[in-house]
This record gives sequence, C-alpha cells and structure tokens, in this order.
Amino acid sequence: MPYDDLRSFLRVLDEQGQLLRVTDEVLPEPDVAAAANAVSRMGGSAPALYFDNIKGFTSARIAMNVHGSWANHALALGLPKETGTEEQIREFARRWDRFPVRPEWRDAPPWAENTMTGAEVDLFRVLPLIRLNDGDGGFYIDKAAVVSEDPDDPGNRGKQNVGIYRIQVKGPARLALQPVPMHDIALHLRKAEERGEDLPVAIAVGNDPVISIAAATPMRYDENEYELAGALRGAPAPIARAPLTGLPVPWGSEVVAEGVIEGRQREIEGPFGEFTGHYSGGRRLPVIRVDRVSYRTDPVFEHLYLGMPWTEIDYLIAANTCVPLYKQLKADFPEVRAVNATYTHGLVVIVSTAKRYGGFARAVGLRVLSTPHGLGYASTVIMVDEDVDPFNLPQVMWALSTKMNPSHDLITVPAMSVMELAPQAQPAGMVDKLIIDATTPVSPDNRGNYGNQVRDLPEAAAWLTRLQELAANR
Amino acid sequence: MPEICPRCAHDTIDLLFASPVAEVWEVVRCARCQYCWRTSEPARRTERDAYPESFRMTAEAIANAPEVPSIPPSRVTP
Ligand SMILES: [Zn+2]
Repeated sequence: MPYDDLRSFLRVLDEQGQLLRVTDEVLPEPDVAAAANAVSRMGGSAPALYFDNIKGFTSARIAMNVHGSWANHALALGLPKETGTEEQIREFARRWDRFPVRPEWRDAPPWAENTMTGAEVDLFRVLPLIRLNDGDGGFYIDKAAVVSEDPDDPGNRGKQNVGIYRIQVKGPARLALQPVPMHDIALHLRKAEERGEDLPVAIAVGNDPVISIAAATPMRYDENEYELAGALRGAPAPIARAPLTGLPVPWGSEVVAEGVIEGRQREIEGPFGEFTGHYSGGRRLPVIRVDRVSYRTDPVFEHLYLGMPWTEIDYLIAANTCVPLYKQLKADFPEVRAVNATYTHGLVVIVSTAKRYGGFARAVGLRVLSTPHGLGYASTVIMVDEDVDPFNLPQVMWALSTKMNPSHDLITVPAMSVMELAPQAQPAGMVDKLIIDATTPVSPDNRGNYGNQVRDLPEAAAWLTRLQELAANR
Repeated sequence: MPEICPRCAHDTIDLLFASPVAEVWEVVRCARCQYCWRTSEPARRTERDAYPESFRMTAEAIANAPEVPSIPPSRVTP
C-alpha cells in the first residue's frame, strides 16, 4: 500500500515501532539536531524522531531521520522492516524495470489549505526552522523536493527535474540554493541565465517517502523522477499543479513554496556541514525569491541531519545510487554482477564482475568514470571478482589483500571531474581518479601465483541451513 | 538583540523572527556575512569570544568567496 503523504508514512513507522516521540520540552538548538545526530549512531534499525514540544514554539512539529536506517528505508518501499540491505537494493533494481510509470493528477491537495503571497510570505512562520551543525551559516531546508523545468523546452516531462538541494533560509522570503554543476537543476539555471531570465522553482517540503528517494536518485537528464516514484511505489505518484508557477509538485506535500532563482545573481552562502562529512562554503550561490507559500495547517517539518557518516543522508542516497550505476554498466557489460555505491554517494564504488579476458575488469572500472554519476563521483573504483560480494566488506578486503599488486593493478586517471564538494579535490572540482583491479588475472594476463582458489565445499550450503536450524531449536 | 556578529564581528544585526511564545528567543542575521542564529543557542554559536576561530569569517573572505556555479555568457544580444 503506497503512501500518499508524509503523515501516513509516519503512522506506519509508529505502528512498526520505528518512530520515537520526544514529548519532553526540548530546545530548538542544539537538541533537535543532537538527537538526530545521536539516533544515527543506533545503527541499521534506528527509528525516526518526532518532536512536538519545542521551546518558544506553539504548534511546531518536526520529523527527523525518517529515512535514517535500513529498517525505515525498507518500510518506505513497502518491504518488511527486517529486509536486508542487498535484498532492498535488488528489489529496488527489479522495480526500476517498471520505469516509467506516469504520475496522476489529483485534485484538492492538502497544502492548498493555507496561503501566503507577496509581502506576507514568511517561512519562519510556516516552518519551525532549526540549525544543525555548529559551523553552519544559518537555517537550512535540506530535504525538500525542488521542481524546475528546462527553460529551452518547457513542458517536456522528461526534462523536468525533481531534486534535493541544500537551501539556506536567508530571510522570510529569501533563500540560497546550491546547484551542483553535475545536477539537472544546474543545467536549467544555466539555460535560464544564458537567456537572461529567472528560473521558476517550486520547493515541496515534507513528502511521502518515495518522492524523497526518487528525488535523491541520480537519474539521466531526460528521465522524470515522478515516473521513477511510480515504478518504486507500484502505483502512479499523485501530483498537483503548483498555483503560481504551474509546476507539478507532490500532491501530499506539507508545504509548497514557489518563486524564482534570480538569474545572474550570486550571494554569500554557508558554510554548511555536508554529506562528505566536511563543511563547505562560504561561496557565492544563486538566490531564490519566494512569492507564494501554500501549506497544510500545522505542517510537519521533515528535516534531515547530516554529519560524519553514517547519518540519515547516507541511507537516503545508498540504494538509489547503486541501482542506476548497476543498470548503466550492465547495459554495456552483462558480466557485471553487483555495484556497491553506498559510500558517500558513490565517491567510492565497488563493482563485482565476471571477466571475458585479461584487462576486462579494469576496462569496466574505467567505464564507471564516464557514467553520468561517475562524472561527479567515483573517485575510487574497486573491481572485484564475480564471486566476491561487494556489499561484504570483509570479502572486499580479502580481494584487496590477495588479488591486488600495486605494480600493475592501480590505474590512476589524472585530472578528472568531481563535484566540487569533494574535499580531496585539487583544485575544487578536479581530482585524479583511481581504479583498483582486485580481480584474479585471467588469460592472457598471467601475472601472479594464483593457482587454485579455495572454494566453499559443495555440501556447505546444506550444512549452513542444518546448523541454523539446530541453533534455532536449542 | 546581540550587538555584534559572532562570526565576522560586524555591528549591524537584523531581527528576522521572534518566538511565537513571547520573549523566549529571537532569530537574527548579520547584515554583512549573513550569519543567522537563534539567540537561545549555546555561546559557541552566539558569542564572539566563544565562537571557534576556524568558523570565523573575514570581510576579505566574504568578498573573495568563489561563485558557484559561475554565471554563463548571455545568449541575449544587447
Ligand atoms: Zn557576520
């Protein structure tokens, strides 16, 4: 049963024991962020947090860590909360095969209940904004779905974009937005600025959980995120037209803010503690003027803490980073078995593959660099054999320990592009990339002394089942 | 209202928002570096003396901050 809004998902999290209500009065800072920081240290089954008693506010509601564990990610996809990580990623890949599923227009969105326009717009009155990390330059909205269109091709559904970008609230109706050059909204903004125009945007805060997963997926430029959401939900994503810009926004959002990115303007922004686990900024970024806000009565502010990994964002950009890379590699090289790009949005990518001949695995590794996502990420690619599970880090370490000879298995590609938040880049946006070939050489590559590899005994699988049963019935 | 910005020491601070429950806290913004904070936050985020050196910002740093993304050439012929 797909969720049409955040509130219905929060109810299910609650029923499943995955929503922790903090009912004591807390300070807006540092308590809410510190609790969300702490909950991500509770591991793969950590709950979401719900605050409704925040000092100084009268009706604030904040939901944190909604996607912040494998258990919550499973429930977001309608799977049992115990579903393992790899099984969730495999299921994600299977559902991707149903893409595209066209969204459905639905009337009477709940966010149409209340409106502020023009000079009365005040985001501080609508959302209980809070600050996250000590060095942050201000108040951020960091989990909203931002909708825009290609100014050269308005109305083209494929080129519409729904993405999650960091947004600093700089005033009651003034925001700053970070468009990473590799991301689709940066292409939209570039075209608008070339034309000397502003770029209309709609910012949807507090969404059904699949919208956030789709919006955080590195899709191709001409692929529509709502059509992925439909495939993942197993039902069309409900959307509605935003009243000012006419942009398609999620039907079930808590808050929809509309306005424009002001063309050819930049203003100081940040710093902000980023998904890399490092602060970035201050830089001069584009600014947004908000002209209209529509919102549900007493909206729930869905917010995301990010810090030293893993935190919620790492769960939000794990499966959905692996699957498009896997699909794109598999299309060219059917030998590819699995892709683990769950680390820092795929700055490290681990690929397991069968080999056609000597040199094949490193060629697949080089292909990772030229995928759309690889252009901005994939600073290190680790290639492992088809019998090594890239999600099983002890196995990956075994491959690195025994299958890798630095004299010929480290392939460095100098001066490649990387998103400019990567702290190791020099200068920002440029990095040398590394392919580590930790596969067993195959003919005509006869280097090393591999002989025969020890494999699990044919009877071991049956014995595993037998021992598990014995242990369970003790 | 605070008198100086904890981050850049500028002395013009604007009020952005006051707590819905009267007189609990205010949200304020530095007119120069745009640092925004709530007056109820810990001293390490709100007081110049306690604000960590590595998070401070100078007028030069603000003026020289890189532009991201860079503004493209215009297609419009004047
Ligand atoms: Zn300042």
